[in-house]
Amino acid sequence: MRSQVRGRRLLLLAGIAVIALFLAGLVTGAIGNAFFGGEGEAGGLLPKPEVRLPAEPVFQSAESEGGHEGGGSSSLPAGKFLLTNTILSSWIATLVIVLLFVLATRRLSLVPRGIQNFMEAVVVALLGFVEGMAGKERARRFFPVIATIFLFVVVNAWLGLLPIYPSLGFLKEGHIERHLLRPAGTDLNMPLALALVSFIFVEYWGFRTLKGHYVGKFVRLGNLIPRPGRGWNPLQGLIDLFVGGLEALSELVRIVSFTFRLFGNMTAGEILLLVATFLVPFVFVIPFYGLEILVGFVQALIFAGLTLAFVTMAVMPHEEEGHGSH
Amino acid sequence: MAQLGFHWPSLVIYLVNFLILLGILYVMGYKPILRMLDQRSEKIKESLEEADRVRRESAKAQEEMQQRLEEAHQEGQRLLEEARQAAERYREEERKRARQEAAAFLERARGEIRKERDSAIEEVRGQFADLAILAAERVIERSLDKAAHREIIDKVLEESSKLERN
Repeated sequence: MRSQVRGRRLLLLAGIAVIALFLAGLVTGAIGNAFFGGEGEAGGLLPKPEVRLPAEPVFQSAESEGGHEGGGSSSLPAGKFLLTNTILSSWIATLVIVLLFVLATRRLSLVPRGIQNFMEAVVVALLGFVEGMAGKERARRFFPVIATIFLFVVVNAWLGLLPIYPSLGFLKEGHIERHLLRPAGTDLNMPLALALVSFIFVEYWGFRTLKGHYVGKFVRLGNLIPRPGRGWNPLQGLIDLFVGGLEALSELVRIVSFTFRLFGNMTAGEILLLVATFLVPFVFVIPFYGLEILVGFVQALIFAGLTLAFVTMAVMPHEEEGHGSH
Repeated sequence: MAQLGFHWPSLVIYLVNFLILLGILYVMGYKPILRMLDQRSEKIKESLEEADRVRRESAKAQEEMQQRLEEAHQEGQRLLEEARQAAERYREEERKRARQEAAAFLERARGEIRKERDSAIEEVRGQFADLAILAAERVIERSLDKAAHREIIDKVLEESSKLERN
């Protein structure tokens, strides 16, 4: 009874502290600043967040630094190798994933313990996900790419939520000019690379499984060439040709939709957190962090799940020219 | 595209990075873990089958034991019955033999008695003849008066009966 009372009192104190922090955030943030006669347009505890879409270079050669200053920070110098903050954080994510697996598989035992148990649960869950859509016999072949896409996206998204991400950077005139780390999903190139991997993966398995039939889905010449016993239908042939083109186009459009779905979600999340923190520095942003954890997971699931759905569709044998025969 | 941040080298780096990650995970993560999972499910399946087999065998063994016990019980019962019958038969035989022996003994005793009697009678008869002769001699020696005669005969008979009694 006594400890229950004490626990309740502790909870009450914590609640009061959180509310006080929230009020302090209201007062010191941009909102409070605007209310209580702040000086200038960018006020509050934090500087006004600058939203820049391209990734910022972390290390670069002296000459490109010069060019960078002159040309403005909106775009990267094309054609020069440089390390951007998003690439750096993607390497960290890669390292984290590899480390998890290395720790889990270092001493594999038939009776799992600790991290092996955890990673096995992850693998089993992903394998079940793949098996559910692609069937048991194909699951083992699709699994590595699907699982890697999922893990890469989700770890990148979640690592980006760590507080060191927005707080580490290169200072210039009192505020951070370039961040050292930035969630890789906010760099267009990362979703694009994943989308290309997904595209190549889908087309590779489609072609490998169905061979010529797979090409026949996009290049439909069946009705253009006159054949005995079938009759010649040039109009149907032209329609088929157009439909084939549409099919091919839809495959290509997937790259774009994949890219911008992930890129948009990750960037929006980053901006949402920045702005929320800017408006009210404390407490207020916590629900948004919860939201972003969910969004990161969901986006990873969508990216992996759509790739899986597309590859399952691609290896499904379709009836070629089925409409003409009946 | 450049406004959005498209950058060829970055794209290539991401692609290479992803492929390296895929390779590492395939070799160090997925393959060993999946193999382990397969091994485990195989092992579980095996042990379940083993347990099933053992259970079935033990049930069979128990049943067999029960049956053997039953058989032993029946065998014992049969042996007991046999022994009882044998004992009964033996007793019956013994009894019969004893009866026969007794009968034979009786017969023999009877024969003996008869022989004894016969010999006794023979002997008595012989003595009686002797007595008769003796009496006759006496009679002849004395005068043959009637009263004396009677007296002599009575005396002889008395003697003979005395003899016979001996």
